[in-house]
Order: sequence, then structure tokens, then C-alpha cells
Amino acid sequence: MQNSGVPIYQQIAEQLKTDILAGKLKEGEYLPSIRGLAKDLKISVITTMKAYELLEAEGLVTAAQGKGFYVNAQDSEMLKEQHLRRVEEALQEAIKAAQIAGMTEQELRGTLEALLRMEDA
Amino acid sequence: MKDKRNDRGNHTGNYGVTGQENILQAQNLQKRYKGFALSIPRLELPKGFATALVGENGAGKTTLLNLLAGIRLDYKGEINYFGRQEKGIDGSVQERIGYTGPGSYFLPQWTIRQVEEISGILFDNFHRDRFRTFCGELGISSGLAGFGYAYREVKKLSDGNRMKLMLAAVLSRDTELLILDEPASPLDPLMRDKLCDMIRGYLEQGDGERSVFFSTHNITDMEGVTDYCLIMEHGSIVEEGFVEDLKEKYIAVKGEAADAERARDILLSMSRSAYGFEGICLAEDMEKLAGMDVAFETPGLSQICVAVMKANTKLKI
Repeated sequence: MQNSGVPIYQQIAEQLKTDILAGKLKEGEYLPSIRGLAKDLKISVITTMKAYELLEAEGLVTAAQGKGFYVNAQDSEMLKEQHLRRVEEALQEAIKAAQIAGMTEQELRGTLEALLRMEDA
Repeated sequence: MKDKRNDRGNHTGNYGVTGQENILQAQNLQKRYKGFALSIPRLELPKGFATALVGENGAGKTTLLNLLAGIRLDYKGEINYFGRQEKGIDGSVQERIGYTGPGSYFLPQWTIRQVEEISGILFDNFHRDRFRTFCGELGISSGLAGFGYAYREVKKLSDGNRMKLMLAAVLSRDTELLILDEPASPLDPLMRDKLCDMIRGYLEQGDGERSVFFSTHNITDMEGVTDYCLIMEHGSIVEEGFVEDLKEKYIAVKGEAADAERARDILLSMSRSAYGFEGICLAEDMEKLAGMDVAFETPGLSQICVAVMKANTKLKI
């Protein structure tokens, strides 16, 4: 069946969230207009709107009547929390993959350490 | 049961209640032909969005579009355009609406240059420079160098090129509502993609003030430009809503062959194979599938439309 996986609006919200948490989209900055982004991404207006509303529900942006959505000040504690959650999610994903591959805990640790060393180099 | 969908957060959906404005509103629309009756108690098109009209052949899509575009005026009921107090259509409303349909409204012997000239005379808001740009972008001139295409006659154009010409003409005007009857059908896949781009561009330039209403059988091709969807059967609207809301109302189900018999009564539509079944059910009916080994997914708009059409059709499919 087609259309499996993460809904498009969620993918867009994730991407924008990443940009906000990384500081690429700064406090007070406006997100692209809903219809402009829909045009650029070749998706419907309602899907874009839903992505923005998801970000609003998470407190990352605020809707200004007739002007679009702007980025809220990010609470640094919350920001840390969010980053930590992301790391945990990614590691969980890796653990799952390791289990499927039949790797031992030792091997998984080894892989992580090897990757960390590569980052340093 | 396992739910494959991801966490949807706290979003409540339902875009209808948050002060959504309408571009057009109709009450008690009635139109009778021999063996066919269109009957729509209430119709509202959301302002700033693209609305798709879907349904079987003969469901009444073209009739409805003709009534709304002012092509047919012999109907009962009321239509209000652009939030005006006055009912019905007049010149000032016509000027704000662009329409394309299955027939050609240009005379066969006109050349493309004459289409441009006549459109400029007919409509105050027609931009000739924009028309030429669109003709180029849409490749109406394909095979003819420079302005050579301008002297080609309408009757010599293919169905696809004739549709493109109508789209170029209608998009060259400053309108607030486009009513497009099956714009995608005569177009090749590449041009359908282009059509979607053009609709999105139209909406973007209007910044919430422009709306589009189009009928289509090519739901999959047009899903990326469909915000609101109306499904018609036998002259009535049997389902409608913002696409993202419909995708929460309905859910795609996949299951094992052993459960197919029991699931059939719960699903709106189902297809079976040796390996199992898949179909669509109302999200509120998900619990009724408890105990079966089924997986859920967010359905595509096309799957939803087919399920609703199957549930309402008189045909034995």
C-alpha cells in the first residue's frame, strides 16, 4: 500500500522544528507564508497549514492574525530536553537495528565509539 | 492491533470551525433533468483554498459547476458569491470568476492571436503579456518557432493543447475564483504536474483571497493541490471535508486472509487477495476490528474517495 510512513505534514513540522531548535530560524522570525511554502514544496495548502498548527500546538511558533506564524523564544531548558529526546530516539533506533542485525551489546558500543573517534578526527 | 500511524500530537483537526470564510455559499440547490436530480441543501466553498469535486460519471459534477459558474441559470435555490448580500450572479461577479470546461469556448476558426485579442476585449482584467507567457510556459507553441504558433487555429489544436489554451486565457485574468471542469483529464502527466503548480501559484499570489474549485477523476494526480474535497453521488454531496480531516476520519486497514470475512462488514471498501485483504474503514470503527491481526495506515485521498464512492454507488462493483 502506498502512503505508508510519516505523514507529510509531520515531516515538514519535523524539519522546521529542527531549524528552530538549531537556531536557523530565530526568535521573532516569520515562517514562510503557508501558500508560499505549499507552492515551493508542491503540496496542498491544508497540509502546510496542518504542519504549522502542529508547531503551534507544541509552543514553538505563534500565529499572528493575518501575518502568518512567527518563531517563539525558546526556553533553554525545554530546548535541552528536546535535544536530549532526539538523541534518545536516534539511539533507540540504532539499538533496534543492532538487534535485528544480531549484534552484541559489546559490538554496538564498539561501533558507537568508533564513530565518535571518526567525528573527532 | 498495532497502529502504524505516528503520534499525531494534540492537534484536533477540523478546520471548519475556526472562523473559516467562504468564497461561495449555496442553499437548496435543485436542478432536474429526465432521470436525474441534483439536490444540495447546503454548499460552502472555503476561501483561500483549492476544493476538488469528485464523483462517478453522471453524479452531477458538471451540472453543479455549470450552475456555480453561471453557465446554467435555470435552477432553484440560492447562490451567494464572495460574501455579497445580493443573490445570484451578475457581471461584477462574472468578472471575478474564471471558468474552463470540457468544450471549447473559443470558435474553431479563431487563431491563438485572435483568442488573445478577443479575450482582451471581453474582459477588463485580461493581461495579454501574461497570456503570452503562459502560452510559452505551457508549450502550446510546441513545434513552432517564435510567434508562429499565434497564427495556429483553435480547431487544429489537440484536446490537451486546447485545454492549455483555455487555462492560459483564464489565468491571464485577475480573478478570485477559478471554476475548472476536469482540467486534468486531457493533459499528459507532465502537464498535470504543471497544472498543479499553476493552481498553487494562483493561490499563493492571492494570499488567501483566491480560491479554486475543480472537478477531477485523477485524484492521485491532483491530491497535492487539494485542500478541501467534495464527493458527489446521484446529484447529492455524500462526503466533504478538509483533506487532512478526512485522513483522520478514515483509516486504511491491512489484514490476514483469515479475518477477511469478519472485517468485510466493518470496512467501507475492501479488496482481497490470497495473502490478505486491504480496505478503508471509519476511524471510529477501528475498535470493531479488535482481535484481528490488522495494521493501520493513513489513507491517500484517492483511497478515501473510492471507498466513499463504493459505499454510495448504485453500480454493483
